[in-house]
Amino acid sequence: MDLSLLGFGIDGWGDEMLRGAFMTLLVSIAAYGLGIILGALGAFLKLSRFFLCRLLADIYTTIVRGIPELLIIYLVFFGGGIMLAKISTLLFGGQGFVNLPVFVTGMMCIGFSSGAYSAEVIRGAVLAVPKGQIEAAKAIGMTPFTRLKRILGPQVARYALPGMGNIWQLTLKHTSMISVIGLVEIMRQSAVASGSTREPFTFYAVAGLLYLGLTSISNQGFSRAEKWAAKGVRSE
Amino acid sequence: MKKLVIASIVLFGIISMTFSASAGQKKITIATEGAYAPWNFSSADGKLDGFEVELAADLCKRMGVEYEMVPQAWDGIIPSLQAGKYDAIMAGMTITEKRKKAVSFSRYYAATPSVFIVLNENGFDNLKTEVDAITLDAINPEEEKAMAVLSKEFNGKVIGCQAATIQEKFLQQYLGKSVEIKSYDTQENLELDLQSGRIDAALGAMSYWVPRLKSDKGKGFKIVGPGMTKGPLGEGVGVAVRQTDTELAGMFSKAINEAIADGTLSRLAIKWFTFDASAKE
Repeated sequence: MDLSLLGFGIDGWGDEMLRGAFMTLLVSIAAYGLGIILGALGAFLKLSRFFLCRLLADIYTTIVRGIPELLIIYLVFFGGGIMLAKISTLLFGGQGFVNLPVFVTGMMCIGFSSGAYSAEVIRGAVLAVPKGQIEAAKAIGMTPFTRLKRILGPQVARYALPGMGNIWQLTLKHTSMISVIGLVEIMRQSAVASGSTREPFTFYAVAGLLYLGLTSISNQGFSRAEKWAAKGVRSE
Repeated sequence: MKKLVIASIVLFGIISMTFSASAGQKKITIATEGAYAPWNFSSADGKLDGFEVELAADLCKRMGVEYEMVPQAWDGIIPSLQAGKYDAIMAGMTITEKRKKAVSFSRYYAATPSVFIVLNENGFDNLKTEVDAITLDAINPEEEKAMAVLSKEFNGKVIGCQAATIQEKFLQQYLGKSVEIKSYDTQENLELDLQSGRIDAALGAMSYWVPRLKSDKGKGFKIVGPGMTKGPLGEGVGVAVRQTDTELAGMFSKAINEAIADGTLSRLAIKWFTFDASAKE
C-alpha cells in the first residue's frame, strides 16, 4: 500500500476521495429524504380504505423491492432520458436530447427504492399503535391532525426508528451503484483513482473505510434518536 | 399554488438548460473512461490525461470544432451516448460487429494485438511458435500451426480475461474447448488473480501490457506466444458516435487520416504506449 498517494493537493488523491465521500453523503441524505416522503405516502395508501389506493401502493412496493437497484438506475437513467427526449420532440419539435442532472437522477433512483422499503416500515409502525388509543382520541373529539400530532406521530416515530435506521444504511450503500451514471461519489472516485494509478488495493481499502466511517457515525446518531424517542416509555 | 409555479419554472429551467441539439453542432462532447491508463486516465487533481485525451484535442483542432471531454464509467458508456449525454466516445473501444449494431464508428486510430501474459516462474517454456503475429481473419498454414501449439500448451489451463471484451470472445471461439475461461470485471482483479496463481495465464491488450511489464508492478509477468489481431479481436480502436451521426464519424475519419499522414498519430502512440500502436494505412 502506497500511502503517499493519499495525500492532499495536486499529487495526492486524498482530497478527491473526501470529496467523493461528501457526494455520497449528500446524495444519500437527499435520497433518504425522498424515500421518507414516498414511504409515508405509500404507507398512507396501503392503510387506506379504498381498494385502488391499496393496489397502487402494493404495485409500487412489490415492483421496486423486487427488482435490483442497478436495474432501476438503468431504467430511469437510460430509459428515462430517451423517453424525455421523445416527449420534448413531441412538445417542442426539433431533434434533441433532454438530460436531467446526474445528481437528480441518482437521487430519484435511490430514493424511489428507499421509499418502497420505508413504506413497509412505516406501515408496520402505524399498525403497532394500539387501535384503542385512536378510538379514544376520536371519542374525546380530536381532529385528524391533532391525532396525528399527539397520538400517532410520536409513537410511529418510535416504532419506525430501528427499521428506518436500517434503511438509511441500505440507502447509503446503494448510492455506490449510481457510479454507473457518472456521479463522482466514493465508488466512482476510487475506480478512477485505481485505474489511473494502478493501485487498486489502496483506493478500494480507503473506499471501504470511508463507507464504514459514514455508517458508524450515522449508527450512533440513530441510537441516540431511538433513546430520545423512547424516553416516555418505561423500560422493562 | 405560487410555490408550484416557481417549482415548475425551476424544473423547466433545469431541463432546458441541459437541452442540447445534436444537428449542426459546433461544439461536441466526447466521453472517455478516465480509468484505463495509458489510453485515458485521471491525474490526482482530477484532470483527464492519456493517449486518447491528447488525440481528441488534435482531431478536434483538425475538424475545427470546439470540444469538451467528460469522464464516464465503462458500464453504460454506450447507453449514455444513445441517451444524448455526449456525442462521441474515445475510450479504447474496439470496433466489433456487435457494437456496430448499436453505434457508428470512425475509421480505426489504433490497433493493438492481444497477447498472453503469464507469471515469470510459471514457465510455459514449451510455448514456442514460429510466427510472432496471427491475423485471425486471413489465417495461413504457419499461423494455423501456431494456433495448434497454443491450444495444446494451454490445454486444461485456466485463462483469465476481462468480461465482455474482444479477448473473452476470442477465447470462447478459439480455445473454448481446451481451456477454462475466467472473466473479470476489472483489469485489477484479473491481475490480482494472475499474481496469486488462481489463473495460469491472462489474455489482454498489448497496449496495456507492454508499458505495464516495464513498470515496477509488472516485473513478475512476461508475454508468451504470438500477438493476435482481427477476427473476433476486432478491427482496431475507433471513435464511436450515435448511429445517426454518420457525418460526425466521417469528420473523425478524415481527421484521423490527416493525423496518420503527418505522423502525429504515431508520435502520440509511441509517447503513451512505448511502442507504435497507431493505425498505419
